Formats: sequence, C-alpha cells, structure tokens
Amino acid sequence: MLIPRKVKHRKQHSPKRRGHATGGTKVSFGEWGIQATTSAYLTNRQIEAARIAMTRHIKRGGKVWINVFPDRSLTKKPAETRMGSGKGSPEWWVVNVKPGRVLFELSGVSEDIAKEALTRAIHKLPLKARIIKREEGDA
Amino acid sequence: MSEVKLVAESRESFGKGAARKLRAAGRTPAVIYGHGHDTRHIHLPAHEVALALRIKNALLELTIAGKSELVLVKSASKDPFTQVIEHVDLVEVKKGEKVHVEIPVHIIGEPMSGTVLDFEHKTVKVEAEATHIPSFIELHISKDNLAGHHYLVSNLIVPDGVIMELENTELVASVVETRAGVADEESNTEATAEGEATEVAAAADDSAAE
Repeated sequence: MLIPRKVKHRKQHSPKRRGHATGGTKVSFGEWGIQATTSAYLTNRQIEAARIAMTRHIKRGGKVWINVFPDRSLTKKPAETRMGSGKGSPEWWVVNVKPGRVLFELSGVSEDIAKEALTRAIHKLPLKARIIKREEGDA
Repeated sequence: MSEVKLVAESRESFGKGAARKLRAAGRTPAVIYGHGHDTRHIHLPAHEVALALRIKNALLELTIAGKSELVLVKSASKDPFTQVIEHVDLVEVKKGEKVHVEIPVHIIGEPMSGTVLDFEHKTVKVEAEATHIPSFIELHISKDNLAGHHYLVSNLIVPDGVIMELENTELVASVVETRAGVADEESNTEATAEGEATEVAAAADDSAAE
C-alpha cells in the first residue's frame, strides 16, 4: 500500500477541495486513463483496491501507472471522546483529487480489456470518473 | 497533410469577458503571429477548430477579410474538465517553408506475449516542409524481440523530405516485461506485512495519546 516513507509533520490541516486540477490532467504515459470528474479524498486503500481490480482483469498483459500518491494524513479522534485535548491521531493517508486529474493509466492491452479494467477500477473509487484516451492532436 | 479551410474574423474586444462571450457564441479566440509581423487577434468557429485539432500539426487555410493565408497550429489550450478548446496559437507559414514540429510515433505490429512497449519518445522532433508534414512516423516492431530490446531513432521509418532532429542512437522505445501479474502477487504479501505494521503503529499512537 502507498504510504510516505517519512513526513515532516504528522498532522496537517485538511486540504481544500474546491476548484479544478491544474496539472496531471492528460494521459502522459499510457494509452488509456481514468480522469476524475468530481473531487474526493482518495485513500491509499482505495488506490490499492482499484489497482488490484485493474491488474486482475488484465492478468499478465499491459502496464499500469498510478499517477497520484497519498501524501497527506487525515486525523480522527477516538469514538466517545470529549472535544479538546489536541488533534486526533492520523487515521488515513489521502490524496486530494480535484476534477480533471488523471489517476491511473494503462497501456499494452486491447480497447475492450482496457475499458473493462478501468471501469472495474472506477467502481473502487469514491468519486465519479471517466475513461479517457491519449490524444495525438494539439488540443 | 491537406489543409482545413476556415473563415476567421478579427477580434476587436479583448480580455476574459470578451473571450467568454465569444466562446458562448460558439467561437474560439485565437492569435496569429510569425514572419516578423504584428500579432493579429482573430476568432474561429469552435466546432470546426475542434475537429481540425484532432490531428497533430494541423495546417489551416484561413480566410480573413477576403484574404487567404496558411497557418500552422502552434499550441492550443483546452479545459481539462469540459474538454473545450479555449484558445489557439497559430503561426504563419508559406508553401515550401521548412518548420520544426513534433510528430507522433505509431507502432506497426505487436510485441512478444508477456511484454509491452515502454515509450521514451511518444513524439519525435523533425524538420519538414510546412505543407508536407507527415501525420505520424512508423515504428515496426517484431514479436521475436525479447524484453530488454531497444528501438532507436534509426529504427524509425522517416518519409522523404523529413529531417530527423534527434540523434540516431537516441532511445525511442524499449520492450519491457509486464509486471501487472507479478506486482499483484508481490503486493498481496506486502499488504499483509504493511497492514500488521500500521496496526502496530496505530496502537502505539493511541497509547501515546492516552
């Protein structure tokens, strides 16, 4: 599972979820990709679940790229605890996904297999997403 | 590559407000520059531009105020979410003029089973005549090549009249073994190990908090 090796600060403020993605919005490495159309905090478990769903479908063929890394911790206070006494302990590692961001890429498989594999991966994600193809044109 | 004929109109109002009004009216703002001339601001029909820009290095024949001229698409900005082309940069060209462009590499054939082609250069820089820019450059691959085989610039089939700007020894693509299945097995073992580690860490955190 993806997790930072070392962090400067264990607890951070929750990242803002407004706006659109400004970078990583194109399919750069593979032939097909998953592009987020809504914003979400994507945890490392969800990324791993999506990757496994994809790789199990394509079996030994193809190559998968994960374009996002969960480098932010979200904290949670234990259940039935009174407010105060400081911030809770880190509970999840997340990436702040905004609409337009390409999350996964895939290549080396046929169109049918790629679409089915990416659809299975999308089902594991807590956001709405679409499948996009690498474009050759200028736009 | 054949030219796409479009009728353009010059722009009089500028700024984001004017540009948004144009886009709402089905037009795409654009600029033309090159050959030492002043930059000209124009707008083009959005749908036709979107169709023309599906291919790389589209050559457009614009009619502006009754005058016809050739332009090459230099760059275009597209909204990543709505997929609407917001603005196009066009550069003036003349027939017979040589231009520096990037051309996509197309694979002909399939790699060996259990391997995929890992691209180092999905596009290559070439010098070609503005009116004869190839749509793509072919790379013929064979099923006989094992993982670790390298395809170099010298393996590309360059059409006549096109000069390659990369060196012949530059890597274009390499054959790599697919790790999808292998990574899956590895991750299962890693996940169990990591899961235990995180549980231990979480327990340590809780005890520290208390």
